[in-house]
Amino acid sequence: MRALLERVGRGMEGLVTGLRVTFTTLLRPKNTVMYPIKKVDVSPRWHGLLALPIDPQIGNDLCIICFQCERVCPSRCIHIEATGKAKERVLTRFDIEMDKCQYCGLCVEVCPTEAIVFVPHYEASTYNRHNLNYDLEDLHRAAPKEPIARGVIR
Amino acid sequence: MALRTEELILNMGPQHPSTHGVLRMVVTLDGENIMDVQPDIGYLHSSVEKMMEYRTYIQNISLADRGMDYLAALANEMALLRAVETLGGIETPLRAQWLRTMFLEFQRIASHLVWLGTWGIDIGATTVFLWCFREREQVIDLFEQSTGGRLHYVYFRPGGVYEDIPEGWLQKALAFCDDFEQRLVEYHQLLTGNPIFEVRTKGIGVLPREVAINLGASGPVARASGIAFDVRKAFPYMKYAEVEFDIPVREEGDCFARYMVRMEEMRQSVRIIRQCAEKLPPGEIRAKVPITLRLPKGEVYTRTESPRGDLGIYLVSQGGETPYRVKIRAPAFSNLFALSEIMRGWKVADMIAILGSIDIVLADVDR
Repeated sequence: MRALLERVGRGMEGLVTGLRVTFTTLLRPKNTVMYPIKKVDVSPRWHGLLALPIDPQIGNDLCIICFQCERVCPSRCIHIEATGKAKERVLTRFDIEMDKCQYCGLCVEVCPTEAIVFVPHYEASTYNRHNLNYDLEDLHRAAPKEPIARGVIR
Repeated sequence: MALRTEELILNMGPQHPSTHGVLRMVVTLDGENIMDVQPDIGYLHSSVEKMMEYRTYIQNISLADRGMDYLAALANEMALLRAVETLGGIETPLRAQWLRTMFLEFQRIASHLVWLGTWGIDIGATTVFLWCFREREQVIDLFEQSTGGRLHYVYFRPGGVYEDIPEGWLQKALAFCDDFEQRLVEYHQLLTGNPIFEVRTKGIGVLPREVAINLGASGPVARASGIAFDVRKAFPYMKYAEVEFDIPVREEGDCFARYMVRMEEMRQSVRIIRQCAEKLPPGEIRAKVPITLRLPKGEVYTRTESPRGDLGIYLVSQGGETPYRVKIRAPAFSNLFALSEIMRGWKVADMIAILGSIDIVLADVDR
Protein backbone atom coordinates (compact mmCIF):
# COMPACT_ATOMS: atom_id res chain seq x y z
CA MET A 1 0.00 0.00 0.00
CA ARG A 2 2.75 2.40 0.96
CA ALA A 3 4.75 1.54 -2.17
CA LEU A 4 1.67 2.24 -4.28
CA LEU A 5 1.16 5.64 -2.65
CA GLU A 6 4.83 6.47 -3.24
CA ARG A 7 4.48 5.58 -6.90
CA VAL A 8 1.35 7.73 -7.19
CA GLY A 9 3.20 10.56 -5.48
CA ARG A 10 6.12 10.31 -7.89
CA GLY A 11 3.74 10.22 -10.82
CA MET A 12 2.01 13.38 -9.60
CA GLU A 13 5.36 15.05 -9.17
CA GLY A 14 6.27 14.21 -12.77
CA LEU A 15 2.90 15.48 -13.96
CA VAL A 16 3.33 18.81 -12.17
CA THR A 17 6.87 19.21 -13.55
CA GLY A 18 5.64 18.53 -17.06
CA LEU A 19 2.70 20.90 -16.82
CA ARG A 20 4.93 23.64 -15.42
CA VAL A 21 7.05 23.42 -18.56
CA THR A 22 3.89 23.57 -20.68
CA PHE A 23 2.62 26.70 -18.98
CA THR A 24 5.97 28.52 -19.00
CA THR A 25 6.29 27.76 -22.72
CA LEU A 26 2.83 29.27 -23.27
CA LEU A 27 4.10 32.58 -21.95
CA ARG A 28 7.30 32.65 -24.01
CA PRO A 29 7.45 34.45 -27.37
CA LYS A 30 6.57 32.37 -30.41
CA ASN A 31 9.32 30.81 -32.50
CA THR A 32 7.32 30.14 -35.64
CA VAL A 33 5.54 32.32 -38.21
CA MET A 34 2.37 31.53 -40.13
CA TYR A 35 4.18 31.00 -43.39
CA PRO A 36 2.07 32.05 -46.38
CA ILE A 37 0.68 35.05 -44.50
CA LYS A 38 3.87 36.15 -42.80
CA LYS A 39 7.32 35.67 -44.24
CA VAL A 40 10.72 35.66 -42.65
CA ASP A 41 13.35 38.17 -43.73
CA VAL A 42 16.25 36.80 -45.66
CA SER A 43 19.72 38.20 -45.21
CA PRO A 44 21.28 40.52 -47.83
CA ARG A 45 23.73 37.75 -48.77
CA TRP A 46 20.93 35.29 -49.44
CA HIS A 47 21.63 32.85 -52.25
CA GLY A 48 18.31 33.23 -53.99
CA LEU A 49 17.34 33.45 -57.65
CA LEU A 50 19.80 34.83 -60.17
CA ALA A 51 19.22 38.00 -62.15
CA LEU A 52 20.93 40.38 -64.56
CA PRO A 53 19.83 43.79 -63.23
CA ILE A 54 19.46 46.62 -65.72
CA ASP A 55 21.86 49.46 -65.07
CA PRO A 56 19.97 52.79 -65.25
CA GLN A 57 22.94 54.63 -66.80
CA ILE A 58 23.37 52.30 -69.76
CA GLY A 59 19.80 51.07 -69.98
CA ASN A 60 21.05 47.54 -70.33
CA ASP A 61 22.67 44.90 -68.19
CA LEU A 62 26.36 45.04 -67.38
CA CYS A 63 27.30 41.74 -69.03
CA ILE A 64 30.48 41.97 -71.10
CA ILE A 65 30.11 38.45 -72.52
CA CYS A 66 33.29 37.04 -71.00
CA PHE A 67 31.77 33.55 -70.55
CA GLN A 68 33.40 33.19 -67.11
CA CYS A 69 30.15 32.32 -65.32
CA GLU A 70 29.32 29.73 -67.96
CA ARG A 71 32.72 28.13 -67.48
CA VAL A 72 32.79 28.12 -63.68
CA CYS A 73 29.25 26.80 -63.16
CA PRO A 74 29.50 23.32 -61.54
CA SER A 75 26.14 22.15 -62.86
CA ARG A 76 26.60 23.81 -66.29
CA CYS A 77 23.25 25.52 -66.21
CA ILE A 78 24.24 28.87 -67.79
CA HIS A 79 24.16 29.09 -71.61
CA ILE A 80 25.49 32.20 -73.34
CA GLU A 81 25.58 33.02 -77.05
CA ALA A 82 26.61 36.28 -78.68
CA THR A 83 26.97 37.80 -82.15
CA GLY A 84 29.24 40.52 -83.50
CA LYS A 85 32.87 41.23 -82.84
CA ALA A 86 34.86 43.21 -80.28
CA LYS A 87 32.85 46.14 -78.89
CA GLU A 88 29.77 45.48 -81.00
CA ARG A 89 29.12 42.12 -79.45
CA VAL A 90 25.51 41.60 -78.49
CA LEU A 91 24.00 39.00 -76.22
CA THR A 92 21.63 36.82 -78.20
CA ARG A 93 21.08 34.20 -75.55
CA PHE A 94 21.59 34.17 -71.81
CA ASP A 95 19.69 31.24 -70.38
CA ILE A 96 19.85 29.91 -66.85
CA GLU A 97 18.23 26.58 -66.15
CA MET A 98 17.10 27.36 -62.64
CA ASP A 99 16.08 23.75 -61.98
CA LYS A 100 19.70 22.67 -62.41
CA CYS A 101 21.18 25.59 -60.47
CA GLN A 102 22.59 24.65 -57.09
CA TYR A 103 22.85 28.22 -55.78
CA CYS A 104 26.56 27.94 -55.07
CA GLY A 105 27.28 31.53 -56.07
CA LEU A 106 30.42 30.89 -58.09
CA CYS A 107 29.03 32.79 -61.10
CA VAL A 108 28.37 35.82 -58.90
CA GLU A 109 31.88 35.53 -57.53
CA VAL A 110 33.72 35.41 -60.85
CA CYS A 111 31.68 38.07 -62.67
CA PRO A 112 34.08 41.00 -63.30
CA THR A 113 31.34 43.65 -63.68
CA GLU A 114 28.88 42.32 -61.07
CA ALA A 115 26.35 41.85 -63.85
CA ILE A 116 24.89 38.66 -62.44
CA VAL A 117 23.55 38.94 -58.88
CA PHE A 118 21.44 37.11 -56.36
CA VAL A 119 17.92 38.36 -55.67
CA PRO A 120 16.47 38.07 -52.14
CA HIS A 121 13.62 35.89 -53.32
CA TYR A 122 12.92 32.29 -52.49
CA GLU A 123 9.60 31.23 -53.91
CA ALA A 124 10.40 29.85 -57.35
CA SER A 125 8.25 26.74 -57.48
CA THR A 126 6.02 26.23 -60.50
CA TYR A 127 3.86 23.46 -61.86
CA ASN A 128 5.96 23.11 -65.02
CA ARG A 129 9.68 22.54 -65.22
CA HIS A 130 9.99 24.65 -68.36
CA ASN A 131 8.98 27.72 -66.41
CA LEU A 132 12.33 27.45 -64.66
CA ASN A 133 14.32 27.99 -67.86
CA TYR A 134 14.98 31.69 -67.45
CA ASP A 135 15.91 33.59 -70.61
CA LEU A 136 17.39 37.07 -70.86
CA GLU A 137 14.06 38.87 -70.46
CA ASP A 138 13.18 36.89 -67.37
CA LEU A 139 16.59 37.61 -65.87
CA HIS A 140 16.17 41.34 -66.55
CA ARG A 141 12.72 41.26 -64.94
CA ALA A 142 13.92 39.38 -61.85
CA ALA A 143 16.30 42.24 -61.14
CA PRO A 144 15.79 43.64 -57.65
CA LYS A 145 13.79 46.80 -58.35
CA GLU A 146 12.34 46.40 -54.87
CA PRO A 147 12.88 43.74 -52.24
CA ILE A 148 10.50 40.87 -52.76
CA ALA A 149 10.40 38.57 -49.74
CA ARG A 150 10.91 40.77 -46.74
CA GLY A 151 8.46 40.13 -43.94
CA VAL A 152 5.46 40.90 -46.12
CA ILE A 153 2.24 40.91 -44.11
CA ARG A 154 -0.80 40.50 -46.28
CA MET B 1 2.24 -30.52 -28.65
CA ALA B 2 5.20 -28.20 -28.48
CA LEU B 3 4.77 -24.74 -29.94
CA ARG B 4 6.64 -24.49 -33.22
CA THR B 5 8.98 -21.48 -33.41
CA GLU B 6 11.26 -20.34 -36.18
CA GLU B 7 13.49 -17.42 -37.00
CA LEU B 8 11.94 -14.53 -38.86
CA ILE B 9 13.82 -12.41 -41.35
CA LEU B 10 12.53 -8.85 -41.29
CA ASN B 11 13.39 -6.08 -43.70
CA MET B 12 13.64 -2.77 -41.94
CA GLY B 13 13.79 0.07 -44.40
CA PRO B 14 14.71 1.57 -46.84
CA GLN B 15 11.68 3.77 -46.20
CA HIS B 16 11.53 3.34 -42.45
CA PRO B 17 11.31 6.72 -40.74
CA SER B 18 13.79 5.97 -38.00
CA THR B 19 16.58 4.76 -40.23
CA HIS B 20 17.58 8.42 -40.82
CA GLY B 21 17.64 8.08 -44.56
CA VAL B 22 17.44 5.17 -46.91
CA LEU B 23 19.13 2.43 -44.96
CA ARG B 24 17.84 -1.14 -45.27
CA MET B 25 18.57 -3.52 -42.45
CA VAL B 26 17.99 -7.25 -42.84
CA VAL B 27 17.19 -8.33 -39.31
CA THR B 28 17.02 -11.97 -38.23
CA LEU B 29 14.60 -12.19 -35.33
CA ASP B 30 13.92 -14.91 -32.81
CA GLY B 31 10.69 -13.67 -31.32
CA GLU B 32 11.60 -10.24 -30.04
CA ASN B 33 15.34 -10.90 -29.88
CA ILE B 34 17.73 -9.83 -32.59
CA MET B 35 19.93 -12.68 -33.80
CA ASP B 36 21.70 -10.88 -36.62
CA VAL B 37 21.65 -7.54 -38.42
CA GLN B 38 23.02 -6.90 -41.89
CA PRO B 39 22.95 -3.26 -42.97
CA ASP B 40 22.32 -2.96 -46.71
CA ILE B 41 23.54 0.33 -48.10
CA GLY B 42 23.72 1.92 -51.51
CA TYR B 43 20.30 3.51 -51.89
CA LEU B 44 21.72 7.02 -51.77
CA HIS B 45 24.87 6.37 -53.76
CA SER B 46 25.65 9.50 -55.77
CA SER B 47 29.19 8.63 -56.93
CA VAL B 48 30.68 11.83 -55.57
CA GLU B 49 34.20 10.48 -55.85
CA LYS B 50 33.84 9.93 -59.59
CA MET B 51 32.07 13.23 -60.17
CA MET B 52 34.87 15.08 -58.44
CA GLU B 53 37.28 13.87 -61.14
CA TYR B 54 35.39 15.89 -63.76
CA ARG B 55 35.20 19.16 -61.87
CA THR B 56 37.78 21.75 -60.98
CA TYR B 57 38.82 22.16 -57.37
CA ILE B 58 36.63 25.19 -56.75
CA GLN B 59 33.61 23.44 -58.27
CA ASN B 60 34.27 20.45 -56.06
CA ILE B 61 33.61 22.57 -52.98
CA SER B 62 29.93 22.86 -53.87
CA LEU B 63 29.87 19.15 -54.66
CA ALA B 64 31.39 18.23 -51.30
CA ASP B 65 28.59 20.20 -49.63
CA ARG B 66 25.84 18.15 -51.19
CA GLY B 67 27.22 14.76 -52.08
CA MET B 68 28.72 13.96 -48.71
CA ASP B 69 27.42 14.56 -45.22
CA TYR B 70 24.72 17.16 -45.88
CA LEU B 71 24.16 17.98 -42.22
CA ALA B 72 27.73 19.18 -41.82
CA ALA B 73 28.53 20.84 -45.12
CA LEU B 74 31.31 23.05 -43.80
CA ALA B 75 33.14 20.07 -42.32
CA ASN B 76 33.20 18.49 -45.79
CA GLU B 77 34.51 21.69 -47.35
CA MET B 78 37.22 21.80 -44.73
CA ALA B 79 38.19 18.18 -45.38
CA LEU B 80 38.50 18.76 -49.12
CA LEU B 81 40.31 22.06 -48.74
CA ARG B 82 42.75 20.69 -46.21
CA ALA B 83 43.84 18.16 -48.84
CA VAL B 84 43.95 20.79 -51.61
CA GLU B 85 45.87 23.29 -49.50
CA THR B 86 48.33 20.70 -48.23
CA LEU B 87 49.10 19.46 -51.74
CA GLY B 88 49.24 22.92 -53.27
CA GLY B 89 51.17 24.46 -50.41
CA ILE B 90 48.61 27.26 -50.11
CA GLU B 91 48.93 29.50 -47.06
CA THR B 92 45.72 30.69 -45.46
CA PRO B 93 45.60 34.13 -43.81
CA LEU B 94 45.28 34.15 -40.03
CA ARG B 95 41.83 35.73 -39.95
CA ALA B 96 40.49 33.13 -42.34
CA GLN B 97 41.87 30.35 -40.16
CA TRP B 98 40.16 31.71 -37.05
CA LEU B 99 36.92 32.24 -38.99
CA ARG B 100 37.03 28.68 -40.30
CA THR B 101 37.59 27.27 -36.82
CA MET B 102 34.62 29.21 -35.51
CA PHE B 103 32.33 28.17 -38.36
CA LEU B 104 33.33 24.53 -38.03
CA GLU B 105 32.34 24.55 -34.38
CA PHE B 106 29.00 26.17 -35.20
CA GLN B 107 28.52 23.41 -37.75
CA ARG B 108 29.26 20.82 -35.09
CA ILE B 109 26.60 22.31 -32.83
CA ALA B 110 24.04 22.36 -35.66
CA SER B 111 24.79 18.77 -36.61
CA HIS B 112 24.64 17.46 -33.05
CA LEU B 113 21.35 19.30 -32.50
CA VAL B 114 19.77 17.49 -35.45
CA TRP B 115 21.05 14.23 -34.03
CA LEU B 116 19.71 14.94 -30.55
CA GLY B 117 16.31 15.98 -31.86
CA THR B 118 15.78 13.04 -34.19
CA TRP B 119 17.11 10.56 -31.68
CA GLY B 120 14.72 12.01 -29.11
CA ILE B 121 11.84 11.29 -31.50
CA ASP B 122 13.13 7.76 -32.05
CA ILE B 123 12.91 6.91 -28.38
CA GLY B 124 9.69 8.77 -27.78
CA ALA B 125 10.62 12.25 -26.58
CA THR B 126 8.95 14.74 -28.90
CA THR B 127 9.71 17.92 -26.97
CA VAL B 128 13.45 17.64 -27.40
CA PHE B 129 13.03 17.59 -31.19
CA LEU B 130 11.18 20.91 -31.20
CA TRP B 131 13.61 22.50 -28.77
CA CYS B 132 16.69 21.34 -30.67
CA PHE B 133 15.40 22.62 -33.99
CA ARG B 134 14.61 25.96 -32.37
CA GLU B 135 18.26 26.38 -31.46
CA ARG B 136 19.47 24.95 -34.75
CA GLU B 137 17.42 27.58 -36.54
CA GLN B 138 19.43 30.26 -34.76
CA VAL B 139 22.72 28.68 -35.86
CA ILE B 140 21.47 28.42 -39.43
CA ASP B 141 20.35 32.06 -39.35
CA LEU B 142 23.89 32.99 -38.32
CA PHE B 143 25.22 30.97 -41.26
CA GLU B 144 22.73 32.61 -43.60
CA GLN B 145 23.80 36.10 -42.57
CA SER B 146 27.42 35.32 -43.24
CA THR B 147 27.45 32.84 -46.12
CA GLY B 148 24.07 33.25 -47.80
CA GLY B 149 23.19 29.58 -47.60
CA ARG B 150 21.19 27.75 -44.99
CA LEU B 151 22.32 24.16 -45.56
CA HIS B 152 24.82 24.28 -48.42
CA TYR B 153 27.18 27.17 -47.87
CA VAL B 154 29.88 27.34 -50.51
CA TYR B 155 31.89 29.45 -48.12
CA PHE B 156 35.43 28.12 -47.80
CA ARG B 157 37.76 28.71 -50.73
CA PRO B 158 41.28 27.49 -51.38
CA GLY B 159 43.31 29.92 -49.30
CA GLY B 160 40.62 31.47 -47.16
CA VAL B 161 36.91 32.15 -47.02
CA TYR B 162 34.67 33.86 -49.56
CA GLU B 163 33.33 36.82 -47.60
CA ASP B 164 34.15 38.43 -44.29
CA ILE B 165 31.53 38.21 -41.56
CA PRO B 166 29.04 41.10 -41.69
CA GLU B 167 28.99 43.87 -39.11
CA GLY B 168 27.45 42.89 -35.80
CA TRP B 169 27.64 39.20 -36.59
CA LEU B 170 30.13 38.47 -33.85
CA GLN B 171 27.87 40.00 -31.19
CA LYS B 172 24.98 37.87 -32.41
CA ALA B 173 27.18 34.77 -32.32
CA LEU B 174 28.28 35.47 -28.76
CA ALA B 175 24.70 36.18 -27.71
CA PHE B 176 23.76 32.81 -29.15
CA CYS B 177 26.57 31.17 -27.15
CA ASP B 178 25.25 32.66 -23.90
CA ASP B 179 21.74 31.55 -24.73
CA PHE B 180 22.79 28.12 -25.89
CA GLU B 181 24.65 27.23 -22.69
CA GLN B 182 21.40 27.71 -20.77
CA ARG B 183 19.54 25.64 -23.36
CA LEU B 184 22.00 22.81 -22.87
CA VAL B 185 21.09 22.76 -19.19
CA GLU B 186 17.44 22.55 -20.25
CA TYR B 187 18.16 19.56 -22.50
CA HIS B 188 19.87 17.85 -19.58
CA GLN B 189 16.84 18.54 -17.38
CA LEU B 190 14.62 17.13 -20.09
CA LEU B 191 16.54 13.92 -20.75
CA THR B 192 19.41 13.09 -18.42
CA GLY B 193 17.39 12.52 -15.26
CA ASN B 194 14.34 11.20 -17.09
CA PRO B 195 13.63 7.63 -15.86
CA ILE B 196 12.13 6.49 -19.19
CA PHE B 197 15.09 7.84 -21.11
CA GLU B 198 17.61 6.20 -18.78
CA VAL B 199 15.88 2.83 -19.01
CA ARG B 200 15.90 3.08 -22.80
CA THR B 201 19.58 4.03 -23.07
CA LYS B 202 21.68 3.02 -20.05
CA GLY B 203 23.50 -0.25 -20.69
CA ILE B 204 21.87 -0.61 -24.12
CA GLY B 205 23.99 -1.31 -27.18
CA VAL B 206 27.41 -1.59 -25.62
CA LEU B 207 30.27 -1.24 -28.08
CA PRO B 208 33.41 -2.66 -26.43
CA ARG B 209 36.66 -0.77 -26.81
CA GLU B 210 38.44 -3.54 -28.78
CA VAL B 211 35.55 -3.91 -31.26
CA ALA B 212 35.45 -0.17 -31.77
CA ILE B 213 39.16 -0.13 -32.61
CA ASN B 214 38.92 -3.15 -34.91
CA LEU B 215 36.00 -1.72 -36.88
CA GLY B 216 37.62 1.68 -37.25
CA ALA B 217 34.93 3.55 -35.37
CA SER B 218 35.76 7.20 -34.77
CA GLY B 219 34.27 10.39 -33.44
CA PRO B 220 31.78 10.42 -30.58
CA VAL B 221 31.03 6.70 -31.05
CA ALA B 222 34.65 5.77 -30.38
CA ARG B 223 35.04 8.33 -27.61
CA ALA B 224 32.03 6.87 -25.82
CA SER B 225 33.82 3.50 -25.84
CA GLY B 226 36.87 4.88 -24.08
CA ILE B 227 39.10 5.78 -27.03
CA ALA B 228 40.48 9.24 -26.36
CA PHE B 229 41.11 10.12 -30.00
CA ASP B 230 40.16 13.37 -31.68
CA VAL B 231 41.75 14.57 -34.91
CA ARG B 232 41.49 18.13 -33.64
CA LYS B 233 43.93 17.24 -30.86
CA ALA B 234 45.98 14.51 -32.54
CA PHE B 235 46.55 16.22 -35.92
CA PRO B 236 45.57 19.86 -35.37
CA TYR B 237 44.46 21.87 -38.36
CA MET B 238 43.44 25.52 -38.64
CA LYS B 239 43.64 27.01 -35.14
CA TYR B 240 42.68 24.00 -33.05
CA ALA B 241 46.21 23.86 -31.62
CA GLU B 242 45.80 27.34 -30.17
CA VAL B 243 42.43 26.99 -28.47
CA GLU B 244 41.74 25.19 -25.23
CA PHE B 245 39.17 22.45 -25.19
CA ASP B 246 38.69 19.02 -23.67
CA ILE B 247 37.79 15.78 -25.38
CA PRO B 248 34.92 14.15 -23.51
CA VAL B 249 35.56 10.42 -23.06
CA ARG B 250 33.26 7.85 -21.47
CA GLU B 251 34.16 4.26 -20.67
CA GLU B 252 30.72 2.61 -20.82
CA GLY B 253 30.22 2.45 -24.60
CA ASP B 254 26.42 2.34 -24.37
CA CYS B 255 23.80 4.66 -25.88
CA PHE B 256 23.80 6.87 -22.80
CA ALA B 257 27.58 7.34 -23.03
CA ARG B 258 27.29 8.38 -26.68
CA TYR B 259 24.60 10.84 -25.69
CA MET B 260 26.67 12.32 -22.89
CA VAL B 261 29.76 12.61 -25.11
CA ARG B 262 27.85 14.57 -27.75
CA MET B 263 26.22 16.84 -25.17
CA GLU B 264 29.62 17.62 -23.70
CA GLU B 265 31.05 18.21 -27.18
CA MET B 266 28.47 20.90 -27.80
CA ARG B 267 29.54 22.64 -24.60
CA GLN B 268 33.18 22.44 -25.69
CA SER B 269 32.23 23.86 -29.10
CA VAL B 270 30.73 26.90 -27.39
CA ARG B 271 33.99 27.24 -25.49
CA ILE B 272 36.02 27.16 -28.73
CA ILE B 273 33.72 29.71 -30.40
CA ARG B 274 34.20 32.11 -27.50
CA GLN B 275 37.98 31.83 -27.75
CA CYS B 276 37.86 32.31 -31.53
CA ALA B 277 35.72 35.42 -31.20
CA GLU B 278 38.17 36.78 -28.65
CA LYS B 279 41.31 36.10 -30.69
CA LEU B 280 39.90 36.94 -34.13
CA PRO B 281 42.55 39.21 -35.72
CA PRO B 282 41.84 41.84 -38.39
CA GLY B 283 43.32 41.47 -41.84
CA GLU B 284 43.06 39.53 -45.05
CA ILE B 285 40.53 36.75 -45.38
CA ARG B 286 41.67 35.22 -48.65
CA ALA B 287 45.04 34.52 -50.19
CA LYS B 288 45.53 35.18 -53.89
CA VAL B 289 44.64 31.87 -55.47
CA PRO B 290 43.48 31.65 -59.10
CA ILE B 291 39.97 30.38 -59.81
CA THR B 292 41.32 27.68 -62.12
CA LEU B 293 43.68 26.23 -59.57
CA ARG B 294 46.31 23.76 -60.77
CA LEU B 295 47.86 21.54 -58.15
CA PRO B 296 51.32 20.01 -58.57
CA LYS B 297 51.63 16.34 -59.37
CA GLY B 298 51.38 14.21 -56.27
CA GLU B 299 49.12 12.62 -53.73
CA VAL B 300 48.05 13.46 -50.20
CA TYR B 301 45.91 12.04 -47.43
CA THR B 302 44.55 14.45 -44.85
CA ARG B 303 42.06 13.96 -42.08
CA THR B 304 39.71 16.28 -40.26
CA GLU B 305 37.25 15.82 -37.43
CA SER B 306 33.73 16.11 -38.79
CA PRO B 307 30.81 15.97 -36.31
CA ARG B 308 30.56 12.24 -37.07
CA GLY B 309 34.21 11.38 -36.71
CA ASP B 310 37.42 11.07 -38.65
CA LEU B 311 36.78 12.36 -42.18
CA GLY B 312 39.71 11.73 -44.47
CA ILE B 313 40.35 12.71 -48.07
CA TYR B 314 42.89 10.97 -50.29
CA LEU B 315 43.64 13.21 -53.25
CA VAL B 316 45.75 12.35 -56.29
CA SER B 317 46.67 15.08 -58.71
CA GLN B 318 48.29 14.70 -62.13
CA GLY B 319 48.97 18.41 -62.43
CA GLY B 320 45.72 19.32 -64.16
CA GLU B 321 42.77 21.50 -63.25
CA THR B 322 40.83 18.54 -61.91
CA PRO B 323 41.83 15.89 -59.38
CA TYR B 324 42.86 12.53 -60.80
CA ARG B 325 41.29 10.56 -57.96
CA VAL B 326 39.49 11.45 -54.76
CA LYS B 327 38.82 8.87 -52.08
CA ILE B 328 36.66 9.84 -49.16
CA ARG B 329 37.04 8.03 -45.88
CA ALA B 330 33.57 8.56 -44.44
CA PRO B 331 33.18 8.35 -40.66
CA ALA B 332 29.53 7.30 -40.79
CA PHE B 333 30.40 4.32 -43.00
CA SER B 334 32.79 2.83 -40.45
CA ASN B 335 30.49 3.63 -37.57
CA LEU B 336 27.52 2.03 -39.32
CA PHE B 337 29.24 -1.34 -39.61
CA ALA B 338 29.71 -1.46 -35.89
CA LEU B 339 25.91 -1.95 -35.83
CA SER B 340 25.84 -5.68 -36.51
CA GLU B 341 28.29 -6.14 -33.64
CA ILE B 342 26.39 -3.93 -31.23
CA MET B 343 22.84 -5.03 -31.97
CA ARG B 344 23.14 -8.79 -31.56
CA GLY B 345 21.09 -9.95 -28.57
CA TRP B 346 19.01 -6.82 -28.03
CA LYS B 347 15.27 -6.38 -28.55
CA VAL B 348 13.63 -4.78 -31.58
CA ALA B 349 12.75 -1.61 -29.70
CA ASP B 350 16.37 -1.19 -28.63
CA MET B 351 17.43 -1.44 -32.26
CA ILE B 352 15.92 1.98 -32.97
CA ALA B 353 17.66 3.54 -29.99
CA ILE B 354 21.02 2.01 -30.97
CA LEU B 355 20.74 3.00 -34.61
CA GLY B 356 19.88 6.56 -33.64
CA SER B 357 22.74 6.82 -31.20
CA ILE B 358 25.32 6.04 -33.92
CA ASP B 359 24.32 9.24 -35.78
CA ILE B 360 24.59 8.14 -39.39
CA VAL B 361 23.89 10.24 -42.44
CA LEU B 362 23.24 8.03 -45.41
CA ALA B 363 24.70 10.47 -47.89
CA ASP B 364 27.94 10.14 -45.98
CA VAL B 365 27.72 6.34 -45.86
CA ASP B 366 27.05 5.84 -49.57
CA ARG B 367 28.83 8.90 -50.98
